[in-house]
Amino acid sequence: MSARRRDAAARGEPSARPAPRGRLRAWREQHAWCLAASVRRLAERPLGTLLTVAVMGFALALPLAFYLLLGNVQRLGAALGETQAVSVFLKPGRDAPAAQALAARLRGRVDVAAVTVKTPQQGLRELAALEGFAPAVDALGDGNPLPYVLVVEPRPELARAAVTTLVETLRTLPDVDLVQDDGAWRERLDALVGVARRAVQLLAALLALAALLVVGNTVRLDIRSRADEIAVLQLVGASAGFVRRPYLYEGVWYGLCSGVVAVLLVLLLELALAGPAARLAGSYGGQLGFAGIAAPVLLTVPFGAALLGWLGARLASARHLGATMPH
Amino acid sequence: MIRFDQVSKRYAAGQEALSQLSFHIAPGEMVFVTGHSGAGKSTLLKLLALIERPTRGTVTLDGQNLGTVGVRGIPRLRRKLGMVFQDHRLLLDRSVFANVELPLVIAGVPPEERARRVRAALDKVGLLAYEKQPPALLSTGEQQRVGIARAIVAKPALLIADEPTGNLDPQLSLEIMQLFADFQQVGTTVVIASHDLMLIKRMKKRVIVLDHGRLIADLAAEEVA
Ligand SMILES: Nc1ncnc2c1ncn2[C@@H]1O[C@H](COP(=O)(O)OP(=O)(O)O)[C@@H](O)[C@H]1O
Ligand SMILES: [Mg+2]
Repeated sequence: MSARRRDAAARGEPSARPAPRGRLRAWREQHAWCLAASVRRLAERPLGTLLTVAVMGFALALPLAFYLLLGNVQRLGAALGETQAVSVFLKPGRDAPAAQALAARLRGRVDVAAVTVKTPQQGLRELAALEGFAPAVDALGDGNPLPYVLVVEPRPELARAAVTTLVETLRTLPDVDLVQDDGAWRERLDALVGVARRAVQLLAALLALAALLVVGNTVRLDIRSRADEIAVLQLVGASAGFVRRPYLYEGVWYGLCSGVVAVLLVLLLELALAGPAARLAGSYGGQLGFAGIAAPVLLTVPFGAALLGWLGARLASARHLGATMPH
Repeated sequence: MIRFDQVSKRYAAGQEALSQLSFHIAPGEMVFVTGHSGAGKSTLLKLLALIERPTRGTVTLDGQNLGTVGVRGIPRLRRKLGMVFQDHRLLLDRSVFANVELPLVIAGVPPEERARRVRAALDKVGLLAYEKQPPALLSTGEQQRVGIARAIVAKPALLIADEPTGNLDPQLSLEIMQLFADFQQVGTTVVIASHDLMLIKRMKKRVIVLDHGRLIADLAAEEVA
């Protein structure tokens, strides 16, 4: 045999242990073949492939959609509660001089930065500008049930606790009907968003796991249906890696395609929500637009999904390949 | 090239398929392994390709004790030999060309050289015109020749065949055997399991006869009449 091997070398054929350069080339050739094989497999049963991609795509789009909505709720909350402004509603029947007098008194406090007086007319106008309120305001006719409102802005450096104390003091004033602490509302919203965010993270993890299982199961079925081909490959000397590779590529394709599907679905959702959201924002003063998911995040989704697909295929092939070799 | 030393093989369920088998095959020899059905012919070949492992004894191939080859080493070993099966084991959803090309892809040969060598192998077995066909459209004899082309395309030093003419008529069988003899002519060691005694006699090569897993005769080429 060694004589034959020398002959083979003389004929310029690759020997059993190729040089590093040759090994790299061999690696490339093998990958090219496995890549083509994986694409052929997916194309052989387009419906099954489409279904798997769709299921995975939806599973990945769902947490993205929640993430999108949550981000915007939080932005809305942030914009509304930028100042820790406290709205003080005066009792009905208190007139302009009374309101101005109280405003002047409050301006004198050390923990108050500014006080603006909102007349009932201003309040009605703001209400009419709000989405959906115009007919109700029209229906009121000439009567205006709104009270005077003092918008009290605490000193910005004030801690939350000090603001709460201020709010409590305002509540005890005789002319005051109601004190609305936007800061407290903001705090509650933040807490709520925090809980929702954790829920979305959990959901994302679960759905990623589901996507992993979908790929794993699809690859498992594919391996089962190709037992004959796998046996042939092993008999003609394919390494475990070579036999496995088309299935890994298959998993990567599933992941990549479903990631793209998920991104497209989310972009569609953004498109559908952008119009109504802009109108809503406009009614609140307009400086607040609808924010889509950041491009870098969207770009990482298909790659993350591809990684997920690879992992699913790797797990499935580890379990179902290689049982054919004697030990 | 091949040495069996006191090799026994017992399958998990059942009696011994091979019993204390010892023989040696030199490089470049062509040897028939024959015997009744169940004599252990296929088992002998399976030990060579590490499809099975012996229960006792050692099989040495090309100076390498196969007992020392681990699971990871099996693919490399199989790449050194060409295997032909009675049921030819072709990929039915791929073309003849793609089937024959397979060992070269696995060995990492670049496409142009692959095409050249596949065509040379198909030419050798007389199937050059069929390269684009799927194997299912070929006759049984032609499918067997595709299997042979695949076995020899990577120019292995050892060619083993298990009942390669099992499903063929005498004329086609003789053609196939002649093909194997041609490979021996260019230096390949050839081991063929067959129960077709008529055919074996005509070939005038060394014959190893098994009976219930025991070697009962080892006839040199000159002794075969
Ligand atoms: N995978 C197997 N499991 C159990 N017994 C087997 C297996 N393969 C072969 N045998 C038994 O081993 C003996 C030899 O079989 P085999 O090598 O196939 O003989 P041959 O090829 O000469 O017909 C037979 O008795 C057969 O039943
Ligand atoms: Mg047999």
